[in-house]
Amino acid sequence: MTATDDKLLIDVGSTYFKLATANTIEQHFRDFNRDIFDDLMGKCGDTIDRFDKQDIHICSSANGGLSTLIIGVTNSFSLKYATNIAFNSGINIIDTILYQNIEEYSLPSDLIDVVIIVGGVDSHANLFSSALYRYIEQLNYSNLVFVGSALDAQQMRDNIDNVVVLPNIIDDRLHIVEEHLKEYLTNLYQQDIEGKEDIKHLYDITANQIYSTPFIVNRALPTIEAKFPVADPFILLDIGGATTDIHYSKDLVEDNIVTENEYDRLVFKRLGVYKSKQSLILAAQANEFTYELLTHLKVTENIFHEQSDKATKILMQLAIFLVLCKMSHYRQSYINLKLLAINSIVFTGGITKVLTVEDIESIIVFFYRKILTSDHKPVAILDSDYGIWTLGAKV
Amino acid sequence: MKVVTGVVGNDIHVVANRLIDLSLRARGYEVFNLGVNTHLEEFFDAVVETGAEVLMISSLNGEAEGWGREVPLLKSRYSNLDDVIMMIGGNLVVGSGNTEDIVARYKKYGFDLVCHQMDLNTGLDMLQSLSEERGIA
Ligand code: B12
Repeated sequence: MTATDDKLLIDVGSTYFKLATANTIEQHFRDFNRDIFDDLMGKCGDTIDRFDKQDIHICSSANGGLSTLIIGVTNSFSLKYATNIAFNSGINIIDTILYQNIEEYSLPSDLIDVVIIVGGVDSHANLFSSALYRYIEQLNYSNLVFVGSALDAQQMRDNIDNVVVLPNIIDDRLHIVEEHLKEYLTNLYQQDIEGKEDIKHLYDITANQIYSTPFIVNRALPTIEAKFPVADPFILLDIGGATTDIHYSKDLVEDNIVTENEYDRLVFKRLGVYKSKQSLILAAQANEFTYELLTHLKVTENIFHEQSDKATKILMQLAIFLVLCKMSHYRQSYINLKLLAINSIVFTGGITKVLTVEDIESIIVFFYRKILTSDHKPVAILDSDYGIWTLGAKV
Repeated sequence: MKVVTGVVGNDIHVVANRLIDLSLRARGYEVFNLGVNTHLEEFFDAVVETGAEVLMISSLNGEAEGWGREVPLLKSRYSNLDDVIMMIGGNLVVGSGNTEDIVARYKKYGFDLVCHQMDLNTGLDMLQSLSEERGIA
């Protein structure tokens, strides 16, 4: 997309629509009783009608993103690399299976959009056996891709119908190779949108590809300093209605992944303040520091049952705390961020409309004191006019 | 024959690692070098991904003492590493110690070849003999 002034940028989220032109920003709560397209046209039709199809750019996280099941042979290489590529391709829901224990995993009941099988360098063969094919046979999935050792590709073709075989994501030096799988997953996202009844009509108003919102956000990060006084290294938290996304700069991970991306992404599914409110509350109740934090915020547990602006605000503060906690414990997520090295935390999404810098900083200080026993205090930066998203959409 | 090698823990002494890489290649091994600063789990995982017959860990700064103790438990979580030749060398204790005791201790941790402050070529000769003995050379 080129940066000109006569464009309309639309973001369809799980909770709101956002529309940005060169000098205006509109935001509307979605009506879940209506089709996305009808709802959007009903609320913003006048604005949309003023633009040509070529000048309208849409990104969306409303289709919920794709779900993935990754089957790999180790945590440090195959599962980690595939997870990294999947997150960076905009996929939200990722489950992993360590192949050697495949018989101990239960079968997911939901339909899986894409199963990824990975393992081995190209000179190693026979990493998988009948246990894999038995498991796959019982799975309910739409797509299956093999990105492991080239020597095993034929065996996959012989045993799994409709398997797509792509080049190995692990090279001969055990480094990650991203591009083929990334392109495949990005295209699947595209097809998913085209296939979803209530979203596909969005192509009636744009002549451009509809991207996933996290893809757009990640794209903005290398140029973020043009817009905000961000001190490196930083993380960006997008606390949304359904999930929470974290984008982080590479210097924050001690990792064996060597990629060309400066920024990676991680998602905590079912951690959002609207659609995933109940699971957020459950996560909060399971955290031993929650009650202390509620006291610190001068409220009680009853706030969980309230429906008020105050309750939303507290939930958002809790979400920040829980996300920081989840990133701080060794190996709880697939990477560990060096939280003591962070100089800024950038916040984007609906949260910036509700919380002030002070509300957020009080959580940050509480977190660093209680969990990391440190007086470290990264600066909180609020992207309250969706500057990051417009930056990314215009690249 | 495939070898996974690297320096364990937060150890950044890189010179021996480079020499090991070169010497192994000169002797005809296929080398997967994880470099310095490598977690124990990454070593085992690399063996699984590559199908290596040999795992050769270096430790120079003394950290191996701590990591060594974790080897039996970690290795027990893998279903197919039993036939891998496990080898460790460098400075295997903090300060100085009796080599015999050190070797016995690391053998108990599950290492087949323990090369405390041993010249590299001597160590690689030992590897050669052991793999011939096991019929994998
Ligand atoms: C250079 C050096 C450094 C450099 C490293 C630069 C770099 N990036 O490589 C710097 C200054 C950064 C450094 C830092 C430290 N160092 Co220093 N360092 C050395 C020094 C002087 C030389 C190491 C070297 O490169 N030798 C040349 C190579 C070729 O020899 P080598 O490493 O011994 O390896 C040979 C054999 O051991 C063998 N080998 C090695 N691995 C294996 C594996 C197998 C399977 C086999 C068969 C053989 C084998 O083969 C090699 C060739 O023969 C040694 C002292 C010494 N003279 O050995 C201390 C030494 C290794 N360092 C030491 C220490 C304590 C440290 C620090 C903790 C110091 C500190 N307090 O900060 C830090 C640790 C940093 C870290 N996170 O790891 C101690 C370790 C003591 C111990 N184990 O009890 C030593 C022995 C110095 C001492 N006598 O106290 N160090």
